[in-house]
Amino acid sequence: MFGEGLLKGLGVTIKHFFAPKITEQYPEVKPKLPPLVKSRFRLNREKCIACGICANACPNKVITVNSEKDENNKKRLTGYEMNLQYCLFCGLCVESCPTKAIEIDQDFELAAYTRENTKMDMYKEALTNPPGTAAKEDKGGKDA
Amino acid sequence: MAIAKQEGNFRTQEFILNMGPQHPSTHGVYRAILTLDGEYVVDLENVIGYLHRGIEKLAESRTYTQFIPYTDRMDYLAGMLNNWGYVMTVEKALGLEIPERAEYIRIIVGELQRIASHLVMVASMALDMNGYTAWMYAFYDREKILDLFEMICGSRLTTSFMRVGGVPNDIPEGFLPKLEEFLKEFPKRLDDFDNVITGNEIFIKRTKGIAPIDGETALDYGLTGPNLRASGVNFDLRKVRPYSIYDRFDFEVPVGTNGDNFDRYNMRMLEMRQSLRIIRQAVDNLPEGSIMAKVPKVLRIPAGETYGHIEGAKGILGFYLVSDGGTKPYRIHVHAPSFVNLGIYPYMAKGTMLQDAIASLASIDIVLGEVDR
Ligand code: SF4
Ligand code: SF4
Repeated sequence: MFGEGLLKGLGVTIKHFFAPKITEQYPEVKPKLPPLVKSRFRLNREKCIACGICANACPNKVITVNSEKDENNKKRLTGYEMNLQYCLFCGLCVESCPTKAIEIDQDFELAAYTRENTKMDMYKEALTNPPGTAAKEDKGGKDA
Repeated sequence: MAIAKQEGNFRTQEFILNMGPQHPSTHGVYRAILTLDGEYVVDLENVIGYLHRGIEKLAESRTYTQFIPYTDRMDYLAGMLNNWGYVMTVEKALGLEIPERAEYIRIIVGELQRIASHLVMVASMALDMNGYTAWMYAFYDREKILDLFEMICGSRLTTSFMRVGGVPNDIPEGFLPKLEEFLKEFPKRLDDFDNVITGNEIFIKRTKGIAPIDGETALDYGLTGPNLRASGVNFDLRKVRPYSIYDRFDFEVPVGTNGDNFDRYNMRMLEMRQSLRIIRQAVDNLPEGSIMAKVPKVLRIPAGETYGHIEGAKGILGFYLVSDGGTKPYRIHVHAPSFVNLGIYPYMAKGTMLQDAIASLASIDIVLGEVDR
Protein backbone atom coordinates (compact mmCIF):
# COMPACT_ATOMS: atom_id res chain seq x y z
CA MET A 1 0.00 0.00 0.00
CA PHE A 2 1.35 3.36 -0.91
CA GLY A 3 1.92 5.42 2.21
CA GLU A 4 2.76 2.52 4.46
CA GLY A 5 6.42 3.53 4.47
CA LEU A 6 5.46 7.08 5.30
CA LEU A 7 3.35 5.94 8.26
CA LYS A 8 6.15 3.74 9.52
CA GLY A 9 8.50 6.70 9.37
CA LEU A 10 5.99 8.78 11.23
CA GLY A 11 5.81 6.08 13.88
CA VAL A 12 9.55 6.35 14.43
CA THR A 13 9.28 10.11 14.69
CA ILE A 14 6.55 9.86 17.29
CA LYS A 15 8.59 7.36 19.27
CA HIS A 16 11.50 9.78 19.30
CA PHE A 17 9.26 12.67 20.21
CA PHE A 18 8.53 11.02 23.54
CA ALA A 19 12.06 9.80 24.16
CA PRO A 20 14.09 11.68 26.78
CA LYS A 21 15.69 14.91 25.57
CA ILE A 22 19.38 14.74 24.83
CA THR A 23 20.23 18.38 24.25
CA GLU A 24 23.43 19.50 25.90
CA GLN A 25 22.73 22.42 28.20
CA TYR A 26 26.06 23.91 27.39
CA PRO A 27 26.78 27.26 28.93
CA GLU A 28 24.65 26.37 31.96
CA VAL A 29 26.10 22.91 32.42
CA LYS A 30 29.67 22.46 31.33
CA PRO A 31 30.38 19.01 29.95
CA LYS A 32 33.08 17.05 31.65
CA LEU A 33 35.37 15.91 28.86
CA PRO A 34 37.30 12.63 28.99
CA PRO A 35 40.86 12.90 30.35
CA LEU A 36 42.53 12.42 26.98
CA VAL A 37 40.92 15.44 25.39
CA LYS A 38 43.45 17.99 24.22
CA SER A 39 41.71 21.29 24.67
CA ARG A 40 44.69 23.28 25.85
CA PHE A 41 48.05 22.74 27.39
CA ARG A 42 49.62 23.50 30.72
CA LEU A 43 53.25 23.73 31.59
CA ASN A 44 54.91 22.53 34.73
CA ARG A 45 57.76 24.97 35.26
CA GLU A 46 59.62 22.77 37.72
CA LYS A 47 59.72 19.80 35.40
CA CYS A 48 60.64 21.62 32.20
CA ILE A 49 64.33 21.45 31.36
CA ALA A 50 64.08 23.85 28.42
CA CYS A 51 65.34 21.24 25.98
CA GLY A 52 63.12 22.44 23.16
CA ILE A 53 62.19 18.96 21.99
CA CYS A 54 58.50 19.85 22.06
CA ALA A 55 59.13 22.86 19.83
CA ASN A 56 60.93 20.61 17.35
CA ALA A 57 58.25 17.95 17.42
CA CYS A 58 55.53 20.44 16.61
CA PRO A 59 54.48 20.33 12.96
CA ASN A 60 53.38 23.93 12.86
CA LYS A 61 55.98 25.84 14.90
CA VAL A 62 53.49 26.71 17.60
CA ILE A 63 55.90 26.56 20.52
CA THR A 64 58.71 28.96 21.38
CA VAL A 65 60.97 27.98 24.23
CA ASN A 66 63.30 30.62 25.68
CA SER A 67 66.09 29.73 28.01
CA GLU A 68 69.32 31.05 29.45
CA LYS A 69 72.40 29.35 30.81
CA ASP A 70 72.84 29.74 34.55
CA GLU A 71 76.17 29.81 36.48
CA ASN A 72 76.53 25.99 36.32
CA ASN A 73 76.06 26.15 32.58
CA LYS A 74 72.69 24.53 32.97
CA LYS A 75 69.75 25.62 30.86
CA ARG A 76 67.03 27.43 32.68
CA LEU A 77 63.59 28.18 31.29
CA THR A 78 62.84 31.87 30.90
CA GLY A 79 59.85 31.82 28.63
CA TYR A 80 57.44 29.45 26.98
CA GLU A 81 54.93 30.64 24.48
CA MET A 82 52.33 28.82 22.45
CA ASN A 83 50.78 30.50 19.49
CA LEU A 84 47.58 28.55 19.66
CA GLN A 85 46.07 29.94 16.47
CA TYR A 86 48.37 27.58 14.55
CA CYS A 87 47.95 24.62 16.85
CA LEU A 88 46.55 21.42 15.37
CA PHE A 89 45.91 19.94 18.81
CA CYS A 90 47.65 16.80 17.72
CA GLY A 91 49.45 16.21 21.00
CA LEU A 92 52.83 15.45 19.43
CA CYS A 93 54.46 17.99 21.76
CA VAL A 94 53.06 16.25 24.84
CA GLU A 95 54.16 12.86 23.56
CA SER A 96 57.68 14.02 22.83
CA CYS A 97 58.44 15.76 26.13
CA PRO A 98 61.01 13.69 28.01
CA THR A 99 60.04 15.00 31.46
CA LYS A 100 56.28 15.21 30.94
CA ALA A 101 56.44 18.90 31.70
CA ILE A 102 53.75 19.83 29.24
CA GLU A 103 50.35 18.34 29.87
CA ILE A 104 46.97 18.31 28.24
CA ASP A 105 44.00 19.90 29.86
CA GLN A 106 40.26 19.79 29.19
CA ASP A 107 39.47 23.44 29.69
CA PHE A 108 38.06 24.07 26.23
CA GLU A 109 36.88 27.66 26.50
CA LEU A 110 39.66 29.23 24.51
CA ALA A 111 37.75 31.59 22.25
CA ALA A 112 39.46 34.93 21.82
CA TYR A 113 38.42 38.14 20.12
CA THR A 114 41.69 38.86 18.37
CA ARG A 115 44.46 36.78 16.90
CA GLU A 116 46.87 38.40 19.33
CA ASN A 117 44.91 36.95 22.21
CA THR A 118 45.33 33.41 21.00
CA LYS A 119 48.98 33.56 22.00
CA MET A 120 49.49 31.93 25.32
CA ASP A 121 52.29 32.79 27.65
CA MET A 122 52.56 29.40 29.27
CA TYR A 123 55.48 30.50 31.41
CA LYS A 124 53.37 33.05 33.23
CA GLU A 125 50.30 30.84 33.14
CA ALA A 126 52.19 28.11 34.91
CA LEU A 127 52.39 30.26 38.02
CA THR A 128 48.71 30.98 38.34
CA ASN A 129 47.40 27.78 36.82
CA PRO A 130 49.79 24.87 37.21
CA PRO A 131 48.68 21.60 35.61
CA GLY A 132 45.93 19.70 37.30
CA THR A 133 44.59 22.49 39.48
CA ALA A 134 42.39 25.56 39.35
CA ALA A 135 40.31 25.58 36.19
CA LYS A 136 39.49 21.93 36.63
CA GLU A 137 37.40 22.50 39.71
CA ASP A 138 34.69 24.63 38.21
CA LYS A 139 33.69 21.81 35.92
CA GLY A 140 30.44 20.44 37.16
CA GLY A 141 27.77 18.72 35.22
CA LYS A 142 27.68 15.59 33.29
CA ASP A 143 28.58 14.48 29.85
CA ALA A 144 25.67 13.19 27.83
CA MET B 1 22.99 31.01 -26.20
CA ALA B 2 21.25 28.28 -28.09
CA ILE B 3 17.54 28.38 -28.31
CA ALA B 4 16.28 25.17 -26.83
CA LYS B 5 12.67 25.03 -27.85
CA GLN B 6 10.25 27.11 -29.74
CA GLU B 7 6.53 26.74 -29.35
CA GLY B 8 4.13 29.27 -30.71
CA ASN B 9 5.12 32.70 -29.59
CA PHE B 10 6.99 31.48 -26.57
CA ARG B 11 10.64 30.76 -26.71
CA THR B 12 12.60 28.95 -24.04
CA GLN B 13 16.27 29.38 -23.60
CA GLU B 14 18.95 27.44 -21.88
CA PHE B 15 20.46 29.36 -19.07
CA ILE B 16 23.49 29.13 -16.86
CA LEU B 17 23.16 28.72 -13.13
CA ASN B 18 25.94 28.87 -10.64
CA MET B 19 25.57 26.46 -7.79
CA GLY B 20 28.01 27.24 -5.05
CA PRO B 21 30.74 27.78 -4.07
CA GLN B 22 28.85 28.67 -0.91
CA HIS B 23 25.81 26.52 -1.02
CA PRO B 24 24.61 24.03 1.57
CA SER B 25 23.96 21.34 -1.02
CA THR B 26 27.50 21.35 -2.32
CA HIS B 27 28.85 19.71 0.83
CA GLY B 28 31.64 22.18 1.17
CA VAL B 29 33.06 24.84 -1.05
CA TYR B 30 32.45 23.46 -4.49
CA ARG B 31 30.95 25.14 -7.49
CA ALA B 32 28.96 23.62 -10.29
CA ILE B 33 28.20 25.59 -13.43
CA LEU B 34 24.88 24.25 -14.59
CA THR B 35 23.34 24.72 -17.97
CA LEU B 36 19.63 24.34 -17.49
CA ASP B 37 16.75 23.87 -19.78
CA GLY B 38 13.91 24.68 -17.47
CA GLU B 39 14.19 22.19 -14.65
CA TYR B 40 16.47 19.86 -16.56
CA VAL B 41 20.23 19.83 -16.43
CA VAL B 42 21.73 19.99 -19.90
CA ASP B 43 25.32 20.30 -18.88
CA LEU B 44 27.33 20.56 -15.74
CA GLU B 45 30.87 21.64 -15.10
CA ASN B 46 32.80 20.95 -11.92
CA VAL B 47 34.80 23.80 -10.45
CA ILE B 48 37.01 22.80 -7.58
CA GLY B 49 39.98 24.17 -5.72
CA TYR B 50 38.36 26.46 -3.19
CA LEU B 51 39.61 24.41 -0.28
CA HIS B 52 43.10 23.81 -1.57
CA ARG B 53 45.61 24.05 1.23
CA GLY B 54 48.54 22.43 -0.49
CA ILE B 55 48.69 19.54 1.93
CA GLU B 56 50.89 17.47 -0.36
CA LYS B 57 53.36 20.33 -0.53
CA LEU B 58 53.22 20.87 3.23
CA ALA B 59 54.28 17.27 3.67
CA GLU B 60 57.61 18.01 2.07
CA SER B 61 58.59 20.29 4.92
CA ARG B 62 57.32 18.03 7.70
CA THR B 63 58.86 14.90 9.13
CA TYR B 64 57.07 11.61 8.62
CA THR B 65 55.49 11.81 12.06
CA GLN B 66 54.60 15.46 11.77
CA PHE B 67 52.55 14.84 8.67
CA ILE B 68 50.08 12.59 10.52
CA PRO B 69 47.89 15.46 11.85
CA TYR B 70 47.57 16.86 8.33
CA THR B 71 46.16 13.66 6.91
CA ASP B 72 42.97 13.90 8.92
CA ARG B 73 42.37 17.37 7.56
CA MET B 74 41.81 15.95 4.12
CA ASP B 75 38.75 13.82 4.55
CA TYR B 76 37.73 15.34 7.83
CA LEU B 77 34.74 13.06 8.04
CA ALA B 78 36.99 10.02 8.19
CA GLY B 79 40.10 11.17 10.00
CA MET B 80 40.96 7.78 11.42
CA LEU B 81 40.99 6.12 8.04
CA ASN B 82 43.23 8.81 6.60
CA ASN B 83 45.65 8.40 9.47
CA TRP B 84 45.58 4.70 8.93
CA GLY B 85 46.27 4.86 5.21
CA TYR B 86 49.21 7.14 5.75
CA VAL B 87 50.89 5.36 8.64
CA MET B 88 50.38 2.05 6.89
CA THR B 89 52.25 3.37 3.86
CA VAL B 90 55.12 4.58 6.01
CA GLU B 91 55.19 1.25 7.84
CA LYS B 92 55.28 -0.52 4.52
CA ALA B 93 58.22 1.61 3.43
CA LEU B 94 60.04 0.82 6.65
CA GLY B 95 59.07 -2.83 6.65
CA LEU B 96 57.61 -2.52 10.14
CA GLU B 97 55.55 -5.17 11.86
CA ILE B 98 53.04 -3.70 14.23
CA PRO B 99 51.72 -5.37 17.38
CA GLU B 100 48.53 -7.41 17.25
CA ARG B 101 46.70 -5.28 19.76
CA ALA B 102 47.43 -2.14 17.80
CA GLU B 103 46.02 -3.78 14.66
CA TYR B 104 42.83 -4.67 16.49
CA ILE B 105 42.46 -1.17 17.91
CA ARG B 106 42.98 0.22 14.42
CA ILE B 107 40.29 -2.04 13.05
CA ILE B 108 37.85 -1.00 15.77
CA VAL B 109 38.35 2.74 15.33
CA GLY B 110 38.64 2.40 11.56
CA GLU B 111 35.32 0.66 11.23
CA LEU B 112 33.69 3.04 13.69
CA GLN B 113 34.96 5.83 11.47
CA ARG B 114 33.51 4.16 8.41
CA ILE B 115 30.13 4.06 10.13
CA ALA B 116 30.45 7.70 11.13
CA SER B 117 31.31 8.72 7.59
CA HIS B 118 28.48 6.70 6.08
CA LEU B 119 26.11 8.24 8.61
CA VAL B 120 26.99 11.67 7.32
CA MET B 121 26.36 10.49 3.79
CA VAL B 122 22.98 8.99 4.68
CA ALA B 123 22.07 12.08 6.67
CA SER B 124 23.06 14.60 4.04
CA MET B 125 21.46 12.66 1.25
CA ALA B 126 18.20 12.64 3.17
CA LEU B 127 18.62 16.33 3.91
CA ASP B 128 19.24 17.18 0.28
CA MET B 129 15.92 15.57 -0.44
CA ASN B 130 14.34 17.62 2.30
CA GLY B 131 14.26 14.90 4.93
CA TYR B 132 15.38 16.83 7.94
CA THR B 133 14.40 14.18 10.48
CA ALA B 134 16.84 11.60 9.18
CA TRP B 135 19.64 14.13 9.32
CA MET B 136 19.04 14.69 12.99
CA TYR B 137 18.79 10.99 13.81
CA ALA B 138 21.94 10.07 11.95
CA PHE B 139 23.91 12.84 13.58
CA TYR B 140 22.77 11.66 16.96
CA ASP B 141 24.44 8.31 16.34
CA ARG B 142 27.49 9.86 14.78
CA GLU B 143 27.80 11.87 17.97
CA LYS B 144 28.00 8.63 19.92
CA ILE B 145 30.93 7.53 17.77
CA LEU B 146 32.63 10.87 18.14
CA ASP B 147 32.21 10.57 21.90
CA LEU B 148 34.00 7.25 21.71
CA PHE B 149 36.80 8.84 19.69
CA GLU B 150 37.02 11.60 22.22
CA MET B 151 37.65 8.99 24.87
CA ILE B 152 40.30 7.05 23.01
CA CYS B 153 42.22 9.81 21.26
CA GLY B 154 41.07 13.10 22.70
CA SER B 155 39.66 14.55 19.50
CA ARG B 156 36.43 14.17 17.68
CA LEU B 157 37.11 14.98 14.05
CA THR B 158 40.79 15.58 13.54
CA THR B 159 41.84 12.49 15.38
CA SER B 160 45.58 12.24 14.65
CA PHE B 161 45.28 8.94 16.41
CA MET B 162 47.66 6.60 14.70
CA ARG B 163 51.42 6.63 14.85
CA VAL B 164 53.99 4.92 12.70
CA GLY B 165 54.34 1.58 14.50
CA GLY B 166 51.02 1.45 16.30
CA VAL B 167 48.65 3.67 18.19
CA PRO B 168 49.61 6.26 20.84
CA ASN B 169 46.99 5.44 23.47
CA ASP B 170 45.68 2.16 24.68
CA ILE B 171 41.96 1.67 25.10
CA PRO B 172 41.01 3.77 28.11
CA GLU B 173 38.86 2.66 30.98
CA GLY B 174 35.18 2.91 30.20
CA PHE B 175 35.68 2.76 26.44
CA LEU B 176 34.70 -0.86 25.92
CA PRO B 177 31.46 -0.69 27.95
CA LYS B 178 30.44 2.39 25.98
CA LEU B 179 31.31 0.63 22.75
CA GLU B 180 29.24 -2.39 23.82
CA GLU B 181 26.33 -0.09 24.44
CA PHE B 182 26.75 1.41 20.99
CA LEU B 183 26.97 -2.01 19.37
CA LYS B 184 23.75 -2.96 21.10
CA GLU B 185 21.82 0.19 20.32
CA PHE B 186 22.99 0.96 16.83
CA PRO B 187 21.31 -1.92 14.95
CA LYS B 188 17.98 -0.72 16.35
CA ARG B 189 18.76 2.76 15.15
CA LEU B 190 19.60 1.40 11.73
CA ASP B 191 16.16 -0.18 11.65
CA ASP B 192 14.75 3.23 12.48
CA PHE B 193 16.64 4.73 9.55
CA ASP B 194 15.28 2.01 7.33
CA ASN B 195 11.78 2.94 8.42
CA VAL B 196 12.32 6.67 8.09
CA ILE B 197 14.32 6.76 4.85
CA THR B 198 14.80 3.45 3.06
CA GLY B 199 11.15 2.50 3.21
CA ASN B 200 9.83 5.97 2.55
CA GLU B 201 7.91 5.98 -0.72
CA ILE B 202 8.86 9.51 -1.59
CA PHE B 203 12.51 8.73 -1.07
CA ILE B 204 12.28 5.59 -3.17
CA LYS B 205 10.43 7.37 -5.98
CA ARG B 206 13.01 10.09 -6.06
CA THR B 207 16.10 7.87 -5.99
CA LYS B 208 15.31 4.61 -7.79
CA GLY B 209 16.42 4.72 -11.38
CA ILE B 210 17.91 8.19 -11.06
CA ALA B 211 21.41 8.71 -12.43
CA PRO B 212 22.23 5.04 -13.01
CA ILE B 213 25.84 4.12 -13.65
CA ASP B 214 26.61 0.72 -15.10
CA GLY B 215 29.63 -1.23 -13.96
CA GLU B 216 31.62 -0.55 -17.09
CA THR B 217 31.17 3.20 -16.91
CA ALA B 218 31.95 3.19 -13.22
CA LEU B 219 35.25 1.47 -13.91
CA ASP B 220 35.99 3.82 -16.81
CA TYR B 221 35.59 6.79 -14.52
CA GLY B 222 37.74 5.13 -11.89
CA LEU B 223 35.10 5.02 -9.20
CA THR B 224 36.00 3.09 -6.10
CA GLY B 225 34.41 2.18 -2.82
CA PRO B 226 30.65 2.01 -2.23
CA ASN B 227 30.00 3.99 -5.43
CA LEU B 228 31.66 1.30 -7.52
CA ARG B 229 30.03 -1.53 -5.62
CA ALA B 230 26.61 0.06 -6.09
CA SER B 231 27.13 -0.47 -9.82
CA GLY B 232 27.54 -4.18 -9.30
CA VAL B 233 31.33 -4.45 -9.29
CA ASN B 234 32.43 -6.46 -6.31
CA PHE B 235 35.67 -4.81 -5.39
CA ASP B 236 36.61 -4.14 -1.81
CA LEU B 237 40.27 -3.89 -0.89
CA ARG B 238 39.53 -5.44 2.48
CA LYS B 239 38.54 -8.62 0.66
CA VAL B 240 40.53 -8.52 -2.56
CA ARG B 241 43.85 -7.53 -1.10
CA PRO B 242 43.42 -7.76 2.66
CA TYR B 243 45.66 -5.31 4.45
CA SER B 244 46.20 -5.13 8.19
CA ILE B 245 44.39 -8.17 9.58
CA TYR B 246 41.17 -8.02 7.60
CA ASP B 247 41.67 -11.57 6.38
CA ARG B 248 40.77 -12.79 9.88
CA PHE B 249 37.33 -11.26 9.88
CA ASP B 250 34.12 -12.68 8.62
CA PHE B 251 32.08 -10.09 6.76
CA GLU B 252 30.29 -9.62 3.50
CA VAL B 253 30.69 -7.01 0.84
CA PRO B 254 27.31 -5.63 -0.22
CA VAL B 255 26.98 -5.19 -3.97
CA GLY B 256 24.27 -3.27 -5.77
CA THR B 257 22.66 -3.92 -9.11
CA ASN B 258 21.49 -0.74 -10.80
CA GLY B 259 24.06 1.79 -9.67
CA ASP B 260 21.37 4.38 -9.18
CA ASN B 261 21.08 6.86 -6.35
CA PHE B 262 19.12 4.41 -4.27
CA ASP B 263 21.74 1.71 -4.60
CA ARG B 264 24.48 4.08 -3.65
CA TYR B 265 22.54 5.06 -0.57
CA ASN B 266 21.69 1.49 0.25
CA MET B 267 25.34 0.40 -0.02
CA ARG B 268 26.13 2.65 2.89
CA MET B 269 23.26 1.31 4.96
CA LEU B 270 24.34 -2.29 4.34
CA GLU B 271 28.01 -1.55 4.89
CA MET B 272 27.30 -0.06 8.28
CA ARG B 273 25.83 -3.38 9.40
CA GLN B 274 28.90 -5.21 8.10
CA SER B 275 31.18 -2.77 9.92
CA LEU B 276 29.29 -3.56 13.10
CA ARG B 277 30.02 -7.23 12.53
CA ILE B 278 33.72 -6.53 12.11
CA ILE B 279 33.83 -4.43 15.27
CA ARG B 280 32.00 -7.15 17.18
CA GLN B 281 34.61 -9.73 16.16
CA ALA B 282 37.48 -7.37 16.85
CA VAL B 283 36.23 -6.61 20.35
CA ASP B 284 35.72 -10.30 21.09
CA ASN B 285 39.21 -11.26 19.96
CA LEU B 286 41.07 -8.26 21.28
CA PRO B 287 44.47 -9.56 22.43
CA GLU B 288 46.59 -8.18 25.24
CA GLY B 289 50.03 -6.81 24.58
CA SER B 290 51.86 -3.72 23.52
CA ILE B 291 50.41 -1.09 21.24
CA MET B 292 53.58 0.33 19.76
CA ALA B 293 56.32 -1.40 17.81
CA LYS B 294 59.91 -0.41 18.44
CA VAL B 295 60.38 2.59 16.21
CA PRO B 296 63.40 4.89 16.13
CA LYS B 297 62.74 8.43 17.34
CA VAL B 298 63.84 9.92 14.06
CA LEU B 299 62.32 8.16 11.09
CA ARG B 300 64.41 7.77 7.98
CA ILE B 301 62.95 5.95 5.03
CA PRO B 302 65.36 4.37 2.56
CA ALA B 303 65.36 6.13 -0.79
CA GLY B 304 62.66 4.81 -3.08
CA GLU B 305 58.96 4.78 -3.75
CA THR B 306 56.14 3.20 -1.83
CA TYR B 307 52.46 3.03 -2.54
CA GLY B 308 50.03 1.97 0.12
CA HIS B 309 46.28 1.96 -0.02
CA ILE B 310 43.31 1.12 2.13
CA GLU B 311 39.60 0.89 1.61
CA GLY B 312 38.57 4.28 2.89
CA ALA B 313 35.01 5.27 3.65
CA LYS B 314 34.58 6.86 0.23
CA GLY B 315 36.72 4.56 -1.85
CA ILE B 316 40.31 3.54 -2.24
CA LEU B 317 42.55 5.91 -0.39
CA GLY B 318 46.13 5.66 -1.56
CA PHE B 319 49.34 7.33 -0.50
CA TYR B 320 52.25 7.48 -2.88
CA LEU B 321 55.43 8.27 -1.05
CA VAL B 322 58.78 9.11 -2.55
CA SER B 323 61.73 9.24 -0.23
CA ASP B 324 65.24 10.45 -0.86
CA GLY B 325 66.54 8.82 2.28
CA GLY B 326 66.08 11.87 4.47
CA THR B 327 63.84 12.52 7.44
CA LYS B 328 61.22 14.26 5.35
CA PRO B 329 59.28 12.92 2.39
CA TYR B 330 60.54 14.03 -0.99
CA ARG B 331 57.03 13.92 -2.36
CA ILE B 332 53.68 12.63 -1.21
CA HIS B 333 50.76 12.19 -3.49
CA VAL B 334 47.33 11.23 -2.25
CA HIS B 335 44.93 9.23 -4.33
CA ALA B 336 41.82 10.82 -2.94
CA PRO B 337 38.63 8.86 -3.63
CA SER B 338 36.37 11.92 -3.45
CA PHE B 339 38.36 13.66 -6.15
CA VAL B 340 38.07 10.74 -8.51
CA ASN B 341 34.43 10.13 -7.70
CA LEU B 342 33.49 13.73 -8.36
CA GLY B 343 34.65 13.25 -11.95
CA ILE B 344 31.56 11.28 -12.83
CA TYR B 345 29.15 13.87 -11.51
CA PRO B 346 28.60 15.74 -14.81
CA TYR B 347 27.81 12.40 -16.44
CA MET B 348 25.29 11.63 -13.71
CA ALA B 349 23.65 15.01 -13.67
CA LYS B 350 23.03 15.33 -17.42
CA GLY B 351 19.40 14.92 -18.29
CA THR B 352 18.09 14.78 -14.75
CA MET B 353 16.05 17.35 -12.90
CA LEU B 354 17.91 19.96 -10.93
CA GLN B 355 16.58 18.60 -7.66
CA ASP B 356 17.71 15.10 -8.56
CA ALA B 357 21.12 16.37 -9.55
CA ILE B 358 21.51 17.65 -6.01
CA ALA B 359 20.63 14.22 -4.69
CA SER B 360 23.10 12.65 -7.11
CA LEU B 361 25.86 14.81 -5.72
CA ALA B 362 24.97 13.67 -2.23
CA SER B 363 24.89 10.07 -3.38
CA ILE B 364 28.54 10.00 -4.47
CA ASP B 365 29.48 11.28 -1.02
CA ILE B 366 32.27 13.73 -1.65
CA VAL B 367 34.06 15.77 0.92
CA LEU B 368 35.72 18.86 -0.43
CA GLY B 369 38.59 18.79 2.01
CA GLU B 370 39.72 15.69 0.22
CA VAL B 371 38.87 16.80 -3.30
CA ASP B 372 41.01 19.92 -3.04
CA ARG B 373 43.49 18.85 -0.37
S1 SF4 C 1 49.41 19.98 19.81
FE1 SF4 C 1 50.58 19.65 17.92
S2 SF4 C 1 50.41 21.58 16.80
FE2 SF4 C 1 49.79 22.00 18.92
S3 SF4 C 1 51.65 22.69 19.91
FE3 SF4 C 1 51.54 20.49 20.26
S4 SF4 C 1 52.70 19.57 18.60
FE4 SF4 C 1 52.26 21.70 18.02
S1 SF4 D 1 58.14 21.10 27.81
FE1 SF4 D 1 59.31 19.19 27.79
S2 SF4 D 1 60.08 19.03 25.72
FE2 SF4 D 1 59.40 21.13 25.96
S3 SF4 D 1 61.23 22.23 26.57
FE3 SF4 D 1 60.20 21.62 28.46
S4 SF4 D 1 61.10 19.66 29.00
FE4 SF4 D 1 61.68 20.04 26.86
